[in-house]
Amino acid sequence: MTRQTAAAISRRRLFAMIGLSAGSTVMYQALHSLGFAAESSFRGPPQLGAAPAGATVLVLGAGIAGMVAAYELRNAGYKVQLLEYNARAGGRNWTLRGGDRYTELGGATQECHFDPGNYINPGPWRLPYHHHGMLSYCKRLGVALEPFVQINHNAYVHSQKAFGGKPQRLRTVKADYHGHVAELLAKATQQQALDAEVTHEDQAMLLASLRSWGGLDKNYRYLKGESSSERRGFERDPGGGLRGRPLYSEPVTFSELLDSGLWAALQLGDLYDFQTTMFQPVGGMGQVGQAFGRELAPLIRYNARVVDIRQDGTSVRATFQDVAAGSALQSVQADWCICTLPLSILSQIPMNVGSAMTQAINAVPYATAVKVGLQFKRRFWEQDEHIYGGVSYTDLPIGQIAYPSSGFFGDGKGVLLGAYIWDELSSMEFTAMSPAERIAKALEYGGQIHAQYPAEFDNGVSVAWHRSPFTLGCFGKWSEARRQEHYENLCQFDGRIVLAGEHASYLPAWQEGAVTSALDAIERLHQRALAAGASS
Amino acid sequence: MSKDHRLLGARPAPHSVVAACLALLYLIAAERAAGADSAGIFDASILNTTDGQKIYEQVCQGCHMPDGRGATGAGQYPALAMDRTLVAGQYVALTVLKGRRNMPAFGAGYGFTLVGAPAVLSNVQMAAVINYVRTHFGNHYRDAISADDIAVLDRPDRNTAPK
Repeated sequence: MTRQTAAAISRRRLFAMIGLSAGSTVMYQALHSLGFAAESSFRGPPQLGAAPAGATVLVLGAGIAGMVAAYELRNAGYKVQLLEYNARAGGRNWTLRGGDRYTELGGATQECHFDPGNYINPGPWRLPYHHHGMLSYCKRLGVALEPFVQINHNAYVHSQKAFGGKPQRLRTVKADYHGHVAELLAKATQQQALDAEVTHEDQAMLLASLRSWGGLDKNYRYLKGESSSERRGFERDPGGGLRGRPLYSEPVTFSELLDSGLWAALQLGDLYDFQTTMFQPVGGMGQVGQAFGRELAPLIRYNARVVDIRQDGTSVRATFQDVAAGSALQSVQADWCICTLPLSILSQIPMNVGSAMTQAINAVPYATAVKVGLQFKRRFWEQDEHIYGGVSYTDLPIGQIAYPSSGFFGDGKGVLLGAYIWDELSSMEFTAMSPAERIAKALEYGGQIHAQYPAEFDNGVSVAWHRSPFTLGCFGKWSEARRQEHYENLCQFDGRIVLAGEHASYLPAWQEGAVTSALDAIERLHQRALAAGASS
Repeated sequence: MSKDHRLLGARPAPHSVVAACLALLYLIAAERAAGADSAGIFDASILNTTDGQKIYEQVCQGCHMPDGRGATGAGQYPALAMDRTLVAGQYVALTVLKGRRNMPAFGAGYGFTLVGAPAVLSNVQMAAVINYVRTHFGNHYRDAISADDIAVLDRPDRNTAPK
């Protein structure tokens, strides 16, 4: 492979790979808060104490933020009502399983034909170990968690322009990158190039550490041999008996590796949001929303499309239409309102708040994202390629292919996340397609990584978040400038109304942002309610 | 039109070692892409077309729908079909260029993303798709807008989206 052919990775593909999509703030974190990775501010369930007698709260939206708020306020003794547009609880916390139907904006209806036990999560799909709030609510609601495999050294990294378009195992790219960098640094040390930076005593330690980190041999070289094969894998694995002697594998050259650009895919598992251990609810992320929905069932009014929010000195009134019944407008009233509607929706609803909050609501466009779930007749990625969970990353428009972290070694059909598209232009293009076209494209591209696709495909389902009737987008996009100008205005109380949701957090797109923003909002609400109760 | 107008997209300022590495990556990749042929049908169809209909079908109809009638759920996407606000080509151009609420900005330097590069249309492409929308879906506005008209709207002193 020449420099020229490898040179053809387009910037956005490479960026898509670096961003590695994710549920994620990867790039954001890297650029804006290095060293300040945002650990959840969750410090245990709020200890609100008792609500003022008869105090009422209206919660708009039965997603994670709305239901966390409703759950805690109800427990404190508030009389709580929730209005929810969908016919189910959870919002973007949602799992598509066999038998589910989904109608997107524009009217296309898909019926999911997955086998029992198979699913995709169109929205959030994994929980970092430090998202203490989400983990805590899972425990309190009895939602069982299991490991989510994020990093799989045997999954692929793939560039159309590198290695002849042949997918590479993550472990070989990682081992060779570390090995070559370690060798280079060892050479520089031995040639006294680092004398000004590192003392002689430390140089000895540095050399030892480079050997151990990079898999270098006794001469500090990264070569075909035992130490490199123990990292990148063997040509023939060690075994027993007469044929047990291992054959070492040949590292790729540093030049080819650098030109491939695939090293850009190595960092993800080192980032705070994606470090082991990650979790997922057994049976799909939607188990969380369903559990909250059961818990709060008497409080939730479904199929309610909010069309107006109005406050005065003593109360807040929301007017809504029952979209299932198509009935006349109705309204509900309460002392306080926690509004968790996505800003993409809220910016269209008349609401008498001040210009600061209005401008903040209007300042946040929503990110695009598309997911495609593909069911195959057998788990060929396990049976043929020994990939058990984890994610393969590619510079193709599908962005990634994720393998299920449960049901390993099953004989039945299996479901892959066949596309998770964050690259803005690609996801817009996928959004503009019909559901069937999205699936066809996911098969076409994914087939370049797994040749089994055409023979083994069974059925699929796709969700383009800008076609989602209940969000009109995936999550709120903040730039640093807009956050500086509008974020506090978005989060401040305006009279009797306060907003919550991932859009009102420093954890964009993560459910933990919804949890922590809801808890922050209800604590402030409670203080106000107590103050108002005392003065009345 | 420019060979790869997406290279003009906004780039965050580097604040750290990681950022510096990413910026370097960006430069390497940008340099490479400039000399590369378009990869995949997506690049080819987007980067190499100034056909307003194709741009509409591959980008705009994701929200405004194939028939231009928009859609309604908990909120709505406005219909472009027989839309009177389209009477002012400059209003449409400002909306496409700088964004408006949940309508993304397509002008270079206006859009932003948390991961990767924002989708960007060149002035020629924006003019083409605006002219297409203003003469289809029951609209009959014959005063075409040009790339130069959009360049005038793209003043450096107003680099934020309309409030």
